[in-house]
Amino acid sequence: MKKLLFVLLSALLVTLLIGKTVTIKYWMWDPTIKDKVEKAIEKFESLHPNIKVELTTMEPKNYWPKLRTMAFTKKLPDVFNMSSGYLEEWVKNGFLMDLTSYVENDLDKDKFFFNLFEAGKKLSGTDKYYAIPFALVVTNLYFNKDAFDEAGIPYPNENWTWFDFLNAAIKLTKDKDGDGKIDQWGFWLYGRYANIEPWIYANGGRLINRNTMRFDPNKQAIDTLKFLTSLTTKYHVSPRPKDMKGIKAKNVFPMGIAAMWVDGSWNIENIRRIADGKFRWGIAPVPQGPCGTEKVVFGWPDFIVISARTKHPKEAWEFAKFMAGEGLTIDMYMAGKIPSYKPLTMSKDFDEEGKQPPEKGKVLRELASRKLMNSFTMGWGEWRGYGPAESMGLNGLIDAVLNGDMSFDEMLQKAYENINKVLERYYK
Amino acid sequence: MKKLSWYRPWHPWVFLLPTLIGLFVFRLGPMIFALFMSFTDWNIMSRPHWVGLSNYKELFTDSAFFEILKNTLVFSMIYVSGALVIGLLLAVLVNTKVKGVRFFRAAYFTPVVTSAVAVGIVWGWILSPKYGVLNYFLEHLLHINSPSWLGDQKWALLTVAFVQTWKMVGYYMIIFLAGLQSIPKQLYEAARIDGASKSQAFWKITLPLLSPTTFFVFTIAIIDSFRNFEIIYTMTQGGPQYASTTLVYAVYLNAFVFYRMGYASAMAYVLLTIVGLLTLLNFVLKKYWVKNVY
Repeated sequence: MKKLLFVLLSALLVTLLIGKTVTIKYWMWDPTIKDKVEKAIEKFESLHPNIKVELTTMEPKNYWPKLRTMAFTKKLPDVFNMSSGYLEEWVKNGFLMDLTSYVENDLDKDKFFFNLFEAGKKLSGTDKYYAIPFALVVTNLYFNKDAFDEAGIPYPNENWTWFDFLNAAIKLTKDKDGDGKIDQWGFWLYGRYANIEPWIYANGGRLINRNTMRFDPNKQAIDTLKFLTSLTTKYHVSPRPKDMKGIKAKNVFPMGIAAMWVDGSWNIENIRRIADGKFRWGIAPVPQGPCGTEKVVFGWPDFIVISARTKHPKEAWEFAKFMAGEGLTIDMYMAGKIPSYKPLTMSKDFDEEGKQPPEKGKVLRELASRKLMNSFTMGWGEWRGYGPAESMGLNGLIDAVLNGDMSFDEMLQKAYENINKVLERYYK
Repeated sequence: MKKLSWYRPWHPWVFLLPTLIGLFVFRLGPMIFALFMSFTDWNIMSRPHWVGLSNYKELFTDSAFFEILKNTLVFSMIYVSGALVIGLLLAVLVNTKVKGVRFFRAAYFTPVVTSAVAVGIVWGWILSPKYGVLNYFLEHLLHINSPSWLGDQKWALLTVAFVQTWKMVGYYMIIFLAGLQSIPKQLYEAARIDGASKSQAFWKITLPLLSPTTFFVFTIAIIDSFRNFEIIYTMTQGGPQYASTTLVYAVYLNAFVFYRMGYASAMAYVLLTIVGLLTLLNFVLKKYWVKNVY
């Protein structure tokens, strides 16, 4: 009888102790790596037996409307993913926890690309850290090595100028079967942010005046836009966007229709899949413009953040820190996404030896070390024309010039009017 | 018949209750909520701010909105006339006793039950300027230089409206077919005896007696013509620029992409007003052209 009582009492004690377990809710936007995240969570739970983590994954399309509803009903998960484009809005609405003291006192800064924390600070529009970066995406030039070899042109390198680029694009634009139609274009671009902005920043340009928070492109930016649109309207080395309809924009380069392309590094995976080894290809930094004095890169981090209303800030921080660094493995990153955690980025696994492009690790590491530039503001998706609004905003206006439906000056005039109308709503 | 002793007049309401609750909670409730929202500025995550009529003011001073409104009406006109004319034509064609007519009925109806996304993808491919089948035929067989159907400002809206009409016309065909089959055969026999030609029989018998069906098709086709979100989302995403953006697509963008719930609600109410007025007008005009035959 006494023995039984002892067992019962010990059981009670254990239950009471376990009862102190804290549950953290974590939402993330990539269901394709759900099992890998679950594994990371298991590891975290075994290291912190008093913390349980409840994972929810959702496609980005559903993630944002749901997360906003959760914010409105004051039921935000403790920890969740945050993109650069929305960070400022979420900070200004008071939904995110200030992580400054944690970042300063409880983080092994040397293990991270700390410039990404600074980028987050800048994006938030405050002088505090609200977000922990876990990945970085940059933009680069993609080029078809077989096409370059065939035309006898040396591959692009980091010293390439606009002149070198244009020369190559002209030589690479070919009517191979002599039917009067171009079969291989030198380059491919349309109004998309990741096609346009990398050139603007590499030429010392800017679209937004950060002091007035208005669309106010400087001369370098306007010159860049003129140069880019002339590739289609004057030099005819890039097809009109309307002639590429019916083909996914991201497949034009991997299908071999264009020999060069500038877009985000996250396209590496899609190019591998679509090109499927039919030609050799490589990546290089976006050519520096004639007015570009500093080596910069157009890119942005993805973050993990903590709700301002969490009841367990310390545990949430432990988990968020883990999920931005030591808990992650390289296979959780789509090829072309760069971990913010140096041990991962510097590892041999990041090079993915044997896969195209062979210079991936070297080029992306170099780009990751550059000064990060982007043009995110509140209302960015609307004025820039992003996702389901891609045919509108600045994207649509640039496309109209490329399609020959609008003059350059008319485009610029409309851009001032339309974009500032959006920005005026957010920045009084 | 013996009167049921347990029956009370309120009993039917018990059976209607689940439907009524559904109607109030999932239809009327959100509609009233949206009306309220249309007077606010709400980004879903923070508290809505009351802004009075400013959403409506913004709408009616925005040139893009008028373009969207025009697109919506053009889309509707193409869709409704297609539904009536082609729907009736197909119905007359499949109302004959030809061998295999059942196959054709099913074939014309298939696109109706096919997902709009699949339809959009397949047509997007057919219409592609570079690899599309249509342009290949136009260029190689007929030597016509064809436009970029979905990428050209002049063509995008017309093309999407055509595809949506193509997709849905089988539905109206079935309704017309039912109407045609309920017209008594004797009338045609009598007409033939009187020496009426086939076309006379069609104009003097078929059309007038079909008018209640035509009225029904006309009414629902108008309502359906405003529901074009999926096909636009998959084929053009409203582009180029605003060329193929209709009210529903603009409502979607403002509500779920730009998170401007108030503005989107105001837009939705403009849409509701248009659909409501057109339907009302339709019912008012009904007595002038619909024969009360049954």
